Amino acid sequence: MKDRLGKYIFVYRNQILKSFTYKFKVYGNILTQTIIMIASAFFWKALYRGTDSVMGVSVETMLTYTVVSSMISILLMTNVERRIQNSVRKGTIAVDMMRPMNVFRGYLAEDLGNMTALIFQNLIPILIIGTIFIGFPAPASVGDFFLFLASLILAYIINWVMAALFGMLAFSIVELDALIQVKKHLIRLLSGSIIPIWFMPLWFKNILECLPFVYLYQMPLNIYVGQYTTESLIKGLSIQMAWAVALLLIYAWRQKSIGKKLMVQGG
Amino acid sequence: MKKKLKAILHYLDVTKASIRMSALTIVEYPSSIIGWLISNPIQFIVGFATIQFVVQQFGQINGWNYGELAFLYGVSVISHALSMIFFIQGWFMGFFVMEGEFDRFLTRPMSVMYQFFFTQINVFGVTDLIPGIIVFVYGCIQISFTWTFARVLLVLCMLIGATLIRGGVYIMLGTTSFFTRSENDFGQYTQEVFDKTTMYPISMYPEAIQFILTYIIPIGWVSFYPVSSLLGGYSNGPMKYAALFTLLIGIAVMAVAGLFFKSGLRKYESAGN
Repeated sequence: MKDRLGKYIFVYRNQILKSFTYKFKVYGNILTQTIIMIASAFFWKALYRGTDSVMGVSVETMLTYTVVSSMISILLMTNVERRIQNSVRKGTIAVDMMRPMNVFRGYLAEDLGNMTALIFQNLIPILIIGTIFIGFPAPASVGDFFLFLASLILAYIINWVMAALFGMLAFSIVELDALIQVKKHLIRLLSGSIIPIWFMPLWFKNILECLPFVYLYQMPLNIYVGQYTTESLIKGLSIQMAWAVALLLIYAWRQKSIGKKLMVQGG
Repeated sequence: MKKKLKAILHYLDVTKASIRMSALTIVEYPSSIIGWLISNPIQFIVGFATIQFVVQQFGQINGWNYGELAFLYGVSVISHALSMIFFIQGWFMGFFVMEGEFDRFLTRPMSVMYQFFFTQINVFGVTDLIPGIIVFVYGCIQISFTWTFARVLLVLCMLIGATLIRGGVYIMLGTTSFFTRSENDFGQYTQEVFDKTTMYPISMYPEAIQFILTYIIPIGWVSFYPVSSLLGGYSNGPMKYAALFTLLIGIAVMAVAGLFFKSGLRKYESAGN
């Protein structure tokens, strides 16, 4: 078991070291995240001028929501789409596949390595900046915080597998750049990362609750700020779990069919 | 005088040829343009839907109602699209500096700045222009904006000025690559800043930020001030014609950017590349 994991841990550690070499990118990311976060905070403050709570949500809740949402967006950064696309385009995918490891698990190890580096490079700075300019984003309770972490892990799985499946499209479509943008913008709107679905029209909200996107941001955030009932929590977590399982199954199937296809091409 | 005229005609000729060449790239990469034709409108429609949902729930943002916000958003996206068509190169200057691409421009008998921006027009920017116009027209209908001759002129001044302000900022940021000699890509960050400051009324930000956006980095003039004045926000005084100020500020920003670019280019030459 240790041996089997060993090579992935090697990739993971290597990636952490690699991530620490790009300084400008790090400052740039912090800057972008800060701008988005602070602008959203003022946006909510402007909206709440003159009212204490809208639909049972106070302005303080929204500010916490904004800061934590920024932090989640850092954790959910993935590179797997571009990684697959580049390897397919340059043909290095063949070499990657020859390595004595599952190529997609290798990419996962890289993404996890990136995430680990980002916790120090971006997440903590954003938390500090958020605390100074907006206020410390305290969870509703300690129990909620642990539930939040559990839901966040599921969110990571859903997010990574969706990204990987998306990247696998590179085997059939050459030009993915535009599609990656489409996905990014759809997630921005449909996941509740900027506007919580509480504020959306009911029909739209009902549709969103069936799609996987709200389980990336909205679900963990609901738990963090304590905006849930026992009933909605159980329902939400079960759908989240169901999406994670369903996506993993599709992923397993796609991976198999891609392995076959490549072998045929490679002769 | 005749020589000058000839030079101008020559530049126009080259521009025409470049636009034709750029347009032909659409034919060359049809799948690519289709991709952006879908993705760019989605970006702005998503952004606009966000505003709509919130305004439905809260009624207004800082006293701006839904139609007024659509108008503001439209102006922001249209000027963004125009700046993408003519000045997107500014985002990639670091790359051009690092690859020594300016050598190619320096050997030709035309202004380097002209060559850099106008021989490679980004036709793909049209995919941003379409959603911008749609939202703008929608906003005009919502607030029943009446078009008079003066207003047409003011809107044109505003759009040209706003495009120049954006373009000038891109050029200035890109020019820093001449001095730092690094491949910094400012595109994403500038886009984020411009989005947050031109799509919403800047009056929702604290005074200090508003001050910066008015006097130091004149982003407030891209959309907020001219749109406020067009919507009748200033009943009298010179601010009634804020769109004219936008044009003047745009020309000024571009002039400063041009000088900065020139001084940066001198640095590039002296590097003996």
